[in-house]
Amino acid sequence: MKVKILQWHAVASWTWDAQDETCGICRMAFDGCCPDCKFPGDDCPLIWGVCNHAYHLHCILKWVNSQTSTPLCPMCRREWQFKG
Amino acid sequence: MEREDADGALDSWAQFCTLSNELLAGDGDLAVGPRLAPVVGDLCTRGLATLVRDYFLHSLEETFRNHAVKKFWQHFHPYCSASTVDRIKFCVKEHWPEEILSKALEDICLERGYQEKCVLVLVQVLQSYEDRMPRKKIKEVVCSSSLMPRYQLMVSSVLLTTLPLSFPDILNIYFKKKLEELNSIMAGSYESDQLVDHEPFQRSNTSDWHSGMDIDGSEVSENSSLVKNIGKVVRDLRCIGFTSMTEDAYSSAIIWLLKSKVYELAGDDYRVSVLWCVKKWIQAVPLQFLHALLTYLGDSVDHGSGSSGLKSPLASRPSSFPGIGVPSEALVRWHMRLEYFAYETLQDLRIGKLFEIIVDYPESSPAIEDLKLCLEYTGQHSKLVDSFISSLRYRLLTAGASTNDILHQYVSTIKALRTIDPTGVFLEAVGEPIRDYLRGRKDTIKCIVTMLTDGSGGSGSGTGNAGDNLLEELNRDAENQENADYDDHANIDEKQAWLNSESWEPDPVEADPLKGNRNRRKVDILGLMVSIIGSKDQLVNEYRVMLAEKLLNKSDFEIDSDIRTLELLKIHFGESSMQKCEIMLNDLIDSKRTNSNIKTSLLKSSQTVPGQEEAEVSHDVLDATIISSNFWPPIQIEDLVVPASVDQLLSDYAKRFHQIKTPRKLLWKKNLGTVKLELQFDGRSVQFTVAPVHAAIIMRFQEKSSWTSKALATEIGIPMDSLNRRISFWTSKGVLTESAGPDADDRTFTVVDSMSDVNKDSIVNERMAEYQMTEEEGESSVASVEEQLKKEMTVYEKYIVGMLTNFGSMSLDRIHNTLKMFCIAEPSYDKSLQQLQSFLSGLVADEKLETRDGLYLLKR
Ligand SMILES: [Zn+2]
Ligand SMILES: [Zn+2]
Ligand SMILES: [Zn+2]
Repeated sequence: MKVKILQWHAVASWTWDAQDETCGICRMAFDGCCPDCKFPGDDCPLIWGVCNHAYHLHCILKWVNSQTSTPLCPMCRREWQFKG
Repeated sequence: MEREDADGALDSWAQFCTLSNELLAGDGDLAVGPRLAPVVGDLCTRGLATLVRDYFLHSLEETFRNHAVKKFWQHFHPYCSASTVDRIKFCVKEHWPEEILSKALEDICLERGYQEKCVLVLVQVLQSYEDRMPRKKIKEVVCSSSLMPRYQLMVSSVLLTTLPLSFPDILNIYFKKKLEELNSIMAGSYESDQLVDHEPFQRSNTSDWHSGMDIDGSEVSENSSLVKNIGKVVRDLRCIGFTSMTEDAYSSAIIWLLKSKVYELAGDDYRVSVLWCVKKWIQAVPLQFLHALLTYLGDSVDHGSGSSGLKSPLASRPSSFPGIGVPSEALVRWHMRLEYFAYETLQDLRIGKLFEIIVDYPESSPAIEDLKLCLEYTGQHSKLVDSFISSLRYRLLTAGASTNDILHQYVSTIKALRTIDPTGVFLEAVGEPIRDYLRGRKDTIKCIVTMLTDGSGGSGSGTGNAGDNLLEELNRDAENQENADYDDHANIDEKQAWLNSESWEPDPVEADPLKGNRNRRKVDILGLMVSIIGSKDQLVNEYRVMLAEKLLNKSDFEIDSDIRTLELLKIHFGESSMQKCEIMLNDLIDSKRTNSNIKTSLLKSSQTVPGQEEAEVSHDVLDATIISSNFWPPIQIEDLVVPASVDQLLSDYAKRFHQIKTPRKLLWKKNLGTVKLELQFDGRSVQFTVAPVHAAIIMRFQEKSSWTSKALATEIGIPMDSLNRRISFWTSKGVLTESAGPDADDRTFTVVDSMSDVNKDSIVNERMAEYQMTEEEGESSVASVEEQLKKEMTVYEKYIVGMLTNFGSMSLDRIHNTLKMFCIAEPSYDKSLQQLQSFLSGLVADEKLETRDGLYLLKR
């Protein structure tokens, strides 16, 4: 007997390749999305700072825009810079 | 008293006796009168008037009893003395009892007529005596005027005291036969009427009455002579004092005929309205009869020219015409009485069959419409509720009925009853036992969700359009209602006028057409379904689990119908409730795009390596659904070692995903998904669609045709019992055979290389068969709501056991409230009553608890 695979329809889940599980700003799961978004994944991406802390892009943008002086990373209080 | 006087008195008395006997026995000779006058006058002067009167009446009675009455009853004697069985023989005789009844009545009325004349002779004699008397003396004298009433009283009392018990039966049979005769004569004109006039639900306005009443054409003579004959019999019966007995007899005959007419028209066909026919018939037959009869008897005075004398009492007529209004009113009372009886009969008939009628709904809506009108007239809605609830308990709410059937009947019930009862009050009462019963069933939520969202007709009694789920239908109804709204407004005046004319409308609040229509729309089928489940969240949750199961078992990405269903659910339950489901569907849309991107790029790169062409499996066969697992219900994860070739495809795919979507990566759920395989044997092949674990199992048999379960379980990385469960799919399909293995708990499985011998014969044909896993054989990808709940509820089990140890037995409500009161620390108790009930029924099934009289107690 030989078995020929005609179709293998598999199931996978996606996850962000990050150390933390939740966003330090909104406290939502990275694999979820920020409070402003409806859909996770491409629609609500993560962004890393040079300090290697990750946040929802929308969350850190809101944070950066709300700061009057030079924005700091909410976790390590170092100056916030987007990782290239 | 002087002796001479006494002699004179005796003389006169003797003369009086002789003369009166002569008169009474006389063959129509009333000439005795003048001779009687002086004798009676003499006796009256002597103060013997009372004696005269009594003697005379007594003689009349004697004569009447001995001649007329005896003879009269003799006519009926054969019937009255016959046995019950023999009586039927009389009834079927063509002219029985009309012939003997007419004859007997004729004779007795002749006799009575003669006697009345005799009485009149004496009355005249007495009167002329009274006239000669001084005024004040009259008092002592027997009033001549009382003689006739006394005589008439005597006649009826003699007859009534000698009446055979079965005489009223004879009258009843007589009227029944005559009415049937009349009915068949009238049938022709009544039926042709039906064809012309198709206006249903028309109340007796004046013109309507007339159309039936104007007797014309050939039936006239026939039916008027028939009525005349009946009228004569009735008059004669009245004449001998049987007025009320006669009326009872023809009333019950009319009612009997009406009842059988209703039964005949109604039958077991629920697809036609019969109420209008019944009403038409009432006007065409019994009312015609009564009108003619009352007219003949002089109870109703003809008015105007011709036979159109009957006017509706509702029509305005000058009330200054006494003697016209009164008899018409009698007929109107009859009309009301007959209609009420017809409504009630039809109503009872339909209520008795309501269960069947609802099974047939909506085809049976004419019957429902009839029932509605009947109930509006009689106001006996409670009859419907009681009767229907008991038939529900007896026929539907039983262990034998499937949850699906119960739900479908419930939905039909809602649809049917909201026509009858726009306010939903009775629906509430009728629905309660169904809802209670359904709450006790484990698969209720699942069935409701399936019914709402699945159009593929998983239900047994698949009515309605194929591919149409209940949600679609509800939505379409709502749209139709919107459109109907517009028409409603145009008709409002007409409706109002109509409602105003319905003077018997029971409840003025319901009579408001605006309110009625609004309420009708308010009977919310979806809301009622949700109320069975307890909350919309539970419904949504169950839907999510079912949707997840469905999506994870797809072999393509086609979700158009699911998107449509989701949109409908959003309308009803709000967008935010459906957010997670929306993300799940969105995952499928994204997966489709990503999948094709990855496959294109993988295929391109594999082409660049010419040596790889011969790869065992091409990247082309792999598709993947990539989910945002945070938004999906908990997934059943099981380790599985897939064949190396497949594993290679999976890791290539994941690598490419990471490249395209970085910094996102893929985590495979290797036990999930579907696999299409072709098993190739000598000269024939068979296709299967299976779960990955089944594929992993069967593919191992390529390298080795025989495996022990232990070795195979280790090889594909699943527990032995799990392997044994799965491998039975292949043995059941005849692909593998099972035999004793090296150990008692180890079995050996071997490929049956050419499938069965039967199949061998068809080798030439190279037949292709295809197998799809059935639901039972399939794997569950998602933890069911029940399993999730069980997990969450297990913490409370010890509290429940503790409570029941203390209290012995407790009701569901009490357990619920106690948990709410005491379980306030983590994990605080936040479950609904339905969830608790479902958990407790699980404990009952596990034989930890038992129920008695609706109370829960520990199983000893
Ligand atoms: Zn965030
Ligand atoms: Zn966002
Ligand atoms: Zn930082």
